[in-house]
Amino acid sequence: MSQYNVVGKGLPRVDGPEKVTGKAVFTVDVSLPGMLHGKFLRSPHPHAKILNIDTRAAEQLPGVRAVLTGREIADVRYAFVDTPRYPADEQPLAVDKVRYIGDEVAVVAAESEAIAEEALSLIKVEYEILPAVFTPEEAMQPDAPLLHENKFTGTSAWEDWGATQRVNTYETETTHRNLSGRTFITFGDVEQGLQEADYVREDCFQTAATAHCAMEPHAAVASYDPIEGKLHLWLSTMGIFLKRYNLSRALKLPISRVRVHHSYAGGAFGGKIDVFPYEFCAAYLSMKLGLPVKIELDREEVFTTTRQRHPIKIHLKTGVKKDGTIVAQDVKVIADNGGYRGSGSIVIFLCHGFSFPIYKVPHYRYEGLSVYTNNPVRGPQRGHGAPQIRFAIDSQLDLISRELGLDPVEVMLKNVRQKGDVLPNGDMLNSCGLRESIQEAAAGINWPEKRRQFSPAPAQERFRRGVGISLCAMFSGAMYYPFASAAIVKLHDDGSATLYTGAQEMGQGCYTTMAQVLAEELGIELADVHVVAGDTELTPIDIGSFLSGGALVTGNAVKLAAADARRQLLECAAELLGASVEQLQVREKKIYLKQAPERFVTYTQAIQASVFKRNGNPIIGTGSYKGYPETNRYPSLAKGKGLFTSAYGFAAQTAEVEVDTVTGQVKLLKAVTFHDCGFPLNKTIVEGQVQGCVSMGMGQALSEEIILEKGQLFNPSFLTYRLPLATDTPETIDGLVSTLEPNGPFGAKEVGEGSVAGMTAAIACAVHDATGVRVDNLPITPEKVLRALTAREKALS
Amino acid sequence: MKKLIKLTVNGIQREIEVEPRQTLLEVLREDLGLTGAKKGCNQGECGACTVLLDGQAVSSCLVLAVRAHGKTVLTAEGLATDGQLHALQQAFIAHGAVQCGFCTSGMLLSAKALLDRNPHLTTREIEESIDGNICRCTGYVKIIEAISAVAQNKNS
Repeated sequence: MSQYNVVGKGLPRVDGPEKVTGKAVFTVDVSLPGMLHGKFLRSPHPHAKILNIDTRAAEQLPGVRAVLTGREIADVRYAFVDTPRYPADEQPLAVDKVRYIGDEVAVVAAESEAIAEEALSLIKVEYEILPAVFTPEEAMQPDAPLLHENKFTGTSAWEDWGATQRVNTYETETTHRNLSGRTFITFGDVEQGLQEADYVREDCFQTAATAHCAMEPHAAVASYDPIEGKLHLWLSTMGIFLKRYNLSRALKLPISRVRVHHSYAGGAFGGKIDVFPYEFCAAYLSMKLGLPVKIELDREEVFTTTRQRHPIKIHLKTGVKKDGTIVAQDVKVIADNGGYRGSGSIVIFLCHGFSFPIYKVPHYRYEGLSVYTNNPVRGPQRGHGAPQIRFAIDSQLDLISRELGLDPVEVMLKNVRQKGDVLPNGDMLNSCGLRESIQEAAAGINWPEKRRQFSPAPAQERFRRGVGISLCAMFSGAMYYPFASAAIVKLHDDGSATLYTGAQEMGQGCYTTMAQVLAEELGIELADVHVVAGDTELTPIDIGSFLSGGALVTGNAVKLAAADARRQLLECAAELLGASVEQLQVREKKIYLKQAPERFVTYTQAIQASVFKRNGNPIIGTGSYKGYPETNRYPSLAKGKGLFTSAYGFAAQTAEVEVDTVTGQVKLLKAVTFHDCGFPLNKTIVEGQVQGCVSMGMGQALSEEIILEKGQLFNPSFLTYRLPLATDTPETIDGLVSTLEPNGPFGAKEVGEGSVAGMTAAIACAVHDATGVRVDNLPITPEKVLRALTAREKALS
Repeated sequence: MKKLIKLTVNGIQREIEVEPRQTLLEVLREDLGLTGAKKGCNQGECGACTVLLDGQAVSSCLVLAVRAHGKTVLTAEGLATDGQLHALQQAFIAHGAVQCGFCTSGMLLSAKALLDRNPHLTTREIEESIDGNICRCTGYVKIIEAISAVAQNKNS
């Protein structure tokens, strides 16, 4: 790392001063003159027909400016997934039916939130309650009530861009009801593989719905100027260009008539990329009334009506040789996506996508089903499928290792993929630090001494300790709209630069890391870079801060833009010095002759020369980079064909827990993560990403769970939804394995998501190591631990 | 019926007409434009709205504005003095304790209330002092490091 001046260092964030002084503007802080406030009336029923809505009394309340119901916008449909196979199934307001408790029925725009709320109480809705389903198993029964009767057609951005994809129907449509997606992938011959195995094990694992808990509630401010004919938006989001695209389609506005302005996003974790009714309705109401409209969800609405992580059941059958070599794996996954598809058809694809890059499995069969139920809607959440599938696979590998008397660390080392491997879909592992990560994570937790598995006598004491390990993988971006990032670097007279990037800062530190990439490439300091970002009008396209594409895709675009500016600078300097570009070198904003360092020009002089000699060109560098340079296609969600990502980030995670066998309480004492992020563009920021992932993973392993009873959410608050607090913080070791990804800028790839995924299995395996009992459904609550301990005692006596 | 309240906010004396139902958080954000205090849950559970009321850390979403009459309020906007960031603000930046920034104001003020009262802090006391401030980004590690660094500097 020492060859670099700016990247690789843990430099302070460029947005730090704004944020510690309370000056950073988040979407909830945006307030415009004459702004109205919107509030939703929501369904109290999990499944019901809307017979009639009477809004007259609400409309007459002083201060109310508009009451909108679904009838007026019945033709509007949108969704995170909108393809020929999976057409959009969401509407901003229910038209004839509600499908979960919290579904939007009407929206009021009023002069204050209080008036809007009062108006809601005056709206009368007549419902006809329908039978409802709350588990995928019920929903798939042949006589189950159907949630979505209508068949639509869908067009993705691919069709918009002229790349028509073949229209397919569900292959299992006739066998299962309420299916929102199916993924089916095979390689090798799984039946034959299972026969070749010395040992076959079958298990079922289950994960819980969890909440993102971004601290900033979801909010949108929309301001339509009827004279200008333009819609101005402030959105708490992760991808401004994807939002602009989806909202312009839904609102039937030309894309150039929609501008997303900059505001900081107060955390997202996957939960702010879908298009939401509050965004559409704020925009629609503003267009209708010609006034700014703000809709800010309250915390209960955020918990109930935005998105949650999919609860997934994973049925796993794995065959291994005596030495632990995996021969065959048969995976069946059922995800409950709630009343609308959300990202159901994506998560069942990603459960495969984040599983197959890790172990070499010669015979493999994967089937994923996503199912509609009358539960809240599920969408992407940090790791998106990875925590669920990694929990299952590494929990089972631990069980297999125990059965065969093997050390799981050795079994993992025997099975993991390595650099140079080509995955079955064609993705190349140009960098892969799994092996080193496993060794470091095991060493970091003191594996040989701490692992009870190898102790001669079982523990008898009340407080028992044990350790566990798990691995994870994550994409570094994929081919999702707008398919690429671009960047502009503008030089100033004093040799400093402004970076224009469409990346969106939501806490991950992209303004800082991208500024570092620019500074390094251009040979200036971080303090010399000013960042203009997160505005669809001021900046070029950006792939968005989801699927972990920021460092690699946007990073490459920024690096290329800076290189372009540097090339122009050097050409001017070469002219001034009467030398060739190859004879020059750059240091401290000066360009020297390598052979005669006393001869130099400053950046300022080179820029001035460019203005005078090149018809006023002040030196502007541009660069762009595709989400996946080798393909023009989005991979098939249903068949897993096509290229997924140009680089995988990897991590190994170990956990040491202490279990109180009297109360069942599990405490995470120590968490060790070794993440292969290729190269850390900013060491402090990379550590912060890993630490945030570890904390979230710990919460989801031990305490976090959306509790539903017939579709009604029981814990929509921070008091009842138990996420980690400061006093829960374990000893955290986060190390980096540097593998220098050849496709990444300075070798960088994913770091922001993967490390949430290994925590669940690492903790579950550690609990087993400590106590001898396995909890196979998340979260590992004291009740479940006690129940398992009691059951085992009964079985033993 | 509006009530006139007098209070000192970040060193400036203010007279404001408020609705009896308005919270201190609403008055700070909507009437005074001090949006550093955040509305994360509006029910006293997340800590993002923490401000100092006569030196005490309070959830300003749970304090009616009329109760702040005659009192002194400090928000994140008032932490820096004479163009100099407060030691806690500097430490939060230096240690990478800021990510999305939404919890930051509240964290800083909870930490300040604690340090003002007791500069000799154990890690456990620091963790307890910010247990009412939820952060989803950092896993708290770097926040605890930043506050510890300031506490150690005070002691030395």
